[in-house]
Amino acid sequence: MIRVRTFAVAALAAGLSIPSAQAAAVVGKPAPEFSAPDTTGATRSLSAYKGKFVVLEWVNFECPFVGKHYGSGHMQKLQKDYTGKGVVWLSVNSSTAGSQGYYTSDKVNALMKQKGAAPTAYLLDTAGTVGRAYGARTTPHMFIVDPQGTLIYAGGIDDTPSTDQTDMKTAKNYVSTALDEALAGKPVTTASSQAYGCSVKY
Amino acid sequence: MRGRGLSARLSAWTAAGLCALASSVAAAPPASKHVQPELVADVESIAAGRPFQAGLRLRMDPEWHTYWKNPGDSGLATRLSWKLPDGFQAGPIEWPYPEIFKQGPVTSYGYTREVLLPVTITPPTTLAAGTSVTLAARADWLECREVCLPGRRELSLVLPVRAEAPRPSGPWGPAFASARERLPRAAAGWAFEARETPERLVLVVRPPRAQAEIRRATFFPDRGQVIDHAAPQAWARSAGSYRLEMTPAPNAARPLGALEGVLVTEGSGGSTAVRVDAKSVAPSAKEKP
Repeated sequence: MIRVRTFAVAALAAGLSIPSAQAAAVVGKPAPEFSAPDTTGATRSLSAYKGKFVVLEWVNFECPFVGKHYGSGHMQKLQKDYTGKGVVWLSVNSSTAGSQGYYTSDKVNALMKQKGAAPTAYLLDTAGTVGRAYGARTTPHMFIVDPQGTLIYAGGIDDTPSTDQTDMKTAKNYVSTALDEALAGKPVTTASSQAYGCSVKY
Repeated sequence: MRGRGLSARLSAWTAAGLCALASSVAAAPPASKHVQPELVADVESIAAGRPFQAGLRLRMDPEWHTYWKNPGDSGLATRLSWKLPDGFQAGPIEWPYPEIFKQGPVTSYGYTREVLLPVTITPPTTLAAGTSVTLAARADWLECREVCLPGRRELSLVLPVRAEAPRPSGPWGPAFASARERLPRAAAGWAFEARETPERLVLVVRPPRAQAEIRRATFFPDRGQVIDHAAPQAWARSAGSYRLEMTPAPNAARPLGALEGVLVTEGSGGSTAVRVDAKSVAPSAKEKP
């Protein structure tokens, strides 16, 4: 901590910008490339989906915010609706081994079946590499990549931070709004928002 | 969050297991286990038209925390939904400045051990002495250690109405006094100026003359999507003023136009929290931001 602070002051004195505490995916810029194993053992890379919209959903089934969106069936419906329209939906779990929400592939597959989850794939980012490259802080934390590989949305799933399912009736869903606009060839009105949820268990 | 031992990890797993159980029952009430909420007042009795303060007191188990109004990268601000008798009005929560929690790259703002969140209550101008009133509120909070659990409780507080001026509360007066010490003060005598470029945000701070040397300062923004909460903030003296250099949030809507929040300074005079409401300007090309 002290070393970081000293470096920051030195960097400022030299007229450099403060180093960011972590990398982050920036809307309007190319989305960071990644490769990570999914729960079937296949490797999934962002570049393999060039030409398609890709949704990245940071997930931890034991987080109460994630529980709100899965308990209500809402996340599963988004996954089914948009994969039905040709969108690639990747759920990403960056929980480190032994931390909350970390499971083996078999356990994840059983839980997804039980919940009726329907992403294209569920990625095991146990080392947190994908999460750190995107600056994923919360579960859920949502990102959308366009067919050219540009990040077009980063932030929360909706505009109502809570764990209460009754709030979903009035919440404005940023992800479905952005996807509907982008699929219709329109610019995304709200391209970033404050993500809310549990911390990612890096 | 640091020095987590095996036993802490095991109990985190236990909590996670309980949470998983709870989430399998759709309508199960949130399972708060680590926070004791209580509604208290800074007076023993109230009188018609005389404002007083009620407060939500949260006592947290060791290592557990609840959140500030801007929870930071993760978490959820504590909320109070009042159910008051006719004619009573409740103000907003007055938030003592928070502590910082770091969990890997995730930085959050909140409270540990114990916090009192004061709210000013104004009774109606006509209120019969000799009666009593019940103030009720639903408190919603998120309690986290490594894992998070939502908490919710219906709370109430009964206060007698008297003709004479309200008497300060013996048991709760000191708790309100110490909560008020951590409330940001209006910045009388302070001058702030915010400058922003794509890469950085600078808060220029001119304290009142009588202010002791400030060795360190931290800015807590009122809302998310302003600063990168996890990035270091660099405090430096520069010719009669100070500069606090911060990194903007990665996907913040720019220009921000303003920096609004709380500046907590530390120096030989102890800690001071002042309110910051600074319009921001883009520095000219020649000027150092």
